[in-house]
Amino acid sequence: MELLDRYLQAVRKYLPLRRQDDIIAELRANMESQIEDRESELDRPLTQGEFDDFLRKMGHPMLVASRYQAQQYLIGPTMFPMYLWVLRIALLWAFIICMIVAAVVTPLTQPGAQAIFDALFRTPGILLQTAAWITLVFAAFEFARTRYPNICPPIEGVNKSWSPSTLPPLEKDTLRKGKPRSFVQAVAEIIFSVLFLGWVLLIPHYPFLLLGPGVVFLKTSPYELASVWWTFFGWIVALGIMQIVAKCIDLARGTWERPSHIQQIVFKIVGLIPVLVLLAAPGHIYVLLKNPAVDQAQFGKNLAQVNDAIHLGFSVICAIVVLQLAFDIGKWVLETYRSREASRS
Amino acid sequence: MTVADTNFENLRLELRRGCLTLAVLAQLKREHYGYTLRKELAERGLEIDESTLYPLLRRLETQGLLVSQWREEDKRNKRFYRLSSEGEQILARLLDEWNTINTSVSRILEAQNAETK
Repeated sequence: MELLDRYLQAVRKYLPLRRQDDIIAELRANMESQIEDRESELDRPLTQGEFDDFLRKMGHPMLVASRYQAQQYLIGPTMFPMYLWVLRIALLWAFIICMIVAAVVTPLTQPGAQAIFDALFRTPGILLQTAAWITLVFAAFEFARTRYPNICPPIEGVNKSWSPSTLPPLEKDTLRKGKPRSFVQAVAEIIFSVLFLGWVLLIPHYPFLLLGPGVVFLKTSPYELASVWWTFFGWIVALGIMQIVAKCIDLARGTWERPSHIQQIVFKIVGLIPVLVLLAAPGHIYVLLKNPAVDQAQFGKNLAQVNDAIHLGFSVICAIVVLQLAFDIGKWVLETYRSREASRS
Repeated sequence: MTVADTNFENLRLELRRGCLTLAVLAQLKREHYGYTLRKELAERGLEIDESTLYPLLRRLETQGLLVSQWREEDKRNKRFYRLSSEGEQILARLLDEWNTINTSVSRILEAQNAETK
């Protein structure tokens, strides 16, 4: 019987404090009766192995004790839909705010691309904290509601003010997915992309194609463009070529009607590179003096202002592109998830 | 265990849960303590684990459907349970519900059998 005592002692440890004695006494009485019955059937005491089997059949002490506990939820079924809704809204807003801070506020207040990356890397931690706080608040509310039903009024959940007339209108697939691209449109896009690339490639040789009559100013002014613009130019050309190749592949594979979401997102990500190249320009110098020894005194101050203005401009552009990219990725993930769920059901 | 087996097991447990409560309430029209109740249910074809039955008795008592008292029997203190007056009313209503469901399921199955013939 020592083993029975040890078993009951183990069960006791997992039982609610004020009911321990009562439950253990009852459990002991039932188990001893069962053992006696079995022993009288066999006409001998149970062997150690049989006793082990009997206890094993009863179950792990933690499991046995857990059955005496009231069913507990961290967040119960009444509150759960509301919790999920609040969590989604809060995470969405936290994400939007993080992106605005990372892409708009940070570049305006702290110099350098590193500050933007730091702000972006802080986002997962902030989202986790938001989720944890919301879960904690709902769990506390659930606890109070179940433990103190007299103090906390019953919650009607989401049913109370629901009316069928408040249901949103049907979503049209065509609106969500957009109008398919025609073959003529796809071909025209390739032609114009090639023309655009040709125009871009001619700019270094014929700057008036970009600046028009302003090219005279560039020649006569004391300023010249920094070498970072050549790196930027190289990336623009590479991007142009990549897009033309992808469009030609779509045309060849017959998938021009709806180019894949991943392809569009990849283009937007790669499209960020030229902007980041400019943002990471050494010393944020985009414009130089042709003859610094001569012109520094007269134009040096203006030059610094021009470089700062260009940097600020590209920071804002970068912020807008990052926000748009984040929105597109979120939309794509949601649509992929929905279509997977729909195909499963 | 396959997914189908797991699904079956979950559905079986779900189906059994309500039936066990009904059987326990019905059996406790006569006084029993945990072990003898389990034995009698098993003799009538309804096997039930100790770790399920004993906590179930506690829950039903907390809900006011059973009453219990400690009494000595065979030189051992045992907790005897029986149906309370509220438990009797609830049992009657549950049995009505049980019979309605049983009849409906039988009708559905009979209709389907007739269609397939």
